[in-house]
Amino acid sequence: MAILVKLDRVLLDRGMSLTELSDRVGVTIANLSILKTGKAKAIRFSTLEAICKELSCQPGDILFYEEEG
Amino acid sequence: MRAIGKGSLASILAAGLHAVRIVIFIAFFGLSIAAVIMPFLPMLERVSDGIVSIDGGTVSGGDYVKLMSYFVSFGVMLFIVNRLLEILKTLRFGSPFVRENAVRFRQVGYALLLGEGAKIAFGILGAIFDAELKGGTELTTWIAIVAVFVLAEVFLEGAKMKEEQDLTV
Repeated sequence: MAILVKLDRVLLDRGMSLTELSDRVGVTIANLSILKTGKAKAIRFSTLEAICKELSCQPGDILFYEEEG
Repeated sequence: MRAIGKGSLASILAAGLHAVRIVIFIAFFGLSIAAVIMPFLPMLERVSDGIVSIDGGTVSGGDYVKLMSYFVSFGVMLFIVNRLLEILKTLRFGSPFVRENAVRFRQVGYALLLGEGAKIAFGILGAIFDAELKGGTELTTWIAIVAVFVLAEVFLEGAKMKEEQDLTV
């Protein structure tokens, strides 16, 4: 997929674990793992908002567009 | 009463279909044996002559066409019932919108198509060999076949939507 998810990098910068983020945003670890590993097909604005709020970041810090080739 | 899940309408339907499957299987098994034995009946009669009295009568080509027509019909029925039971299983124990169900519905469609084709073919053969067989075809059957193929596509789309929903975070 052309959209890359760099959630693990942001989590590392903030020193936060996936479990902790899961507790804070109210999204299951399974779903966050789907997002982190780039398997997700879509992300809800509400989920993105909650993640950005907890990680104090912008959507652009988590999502990247890369040309497929 | 619930339509899907445990103890639902789907469960009752599955129980009924299990019973139907047993009846069809027994009939199919019997027909298989008959189909193998029938061509040898006159020979068996000759062999048994003097030992036991077997009156197999005369086996005409028409009888064999009739037998083969029942054999194919029951085979198709057995195949369809098995596929329907597999579909009902997914209804009872989880989500019915899986790609496998779309494939199963398509298989049911092809089986119905084969059954109808065989009915026409055996009808022609029956006329040739003078067998009392009801040949021909009905419009409702063809509508049902098209409906099953449409249903297969609906299930495929449903499966795709479910996959997307499952992967939405």
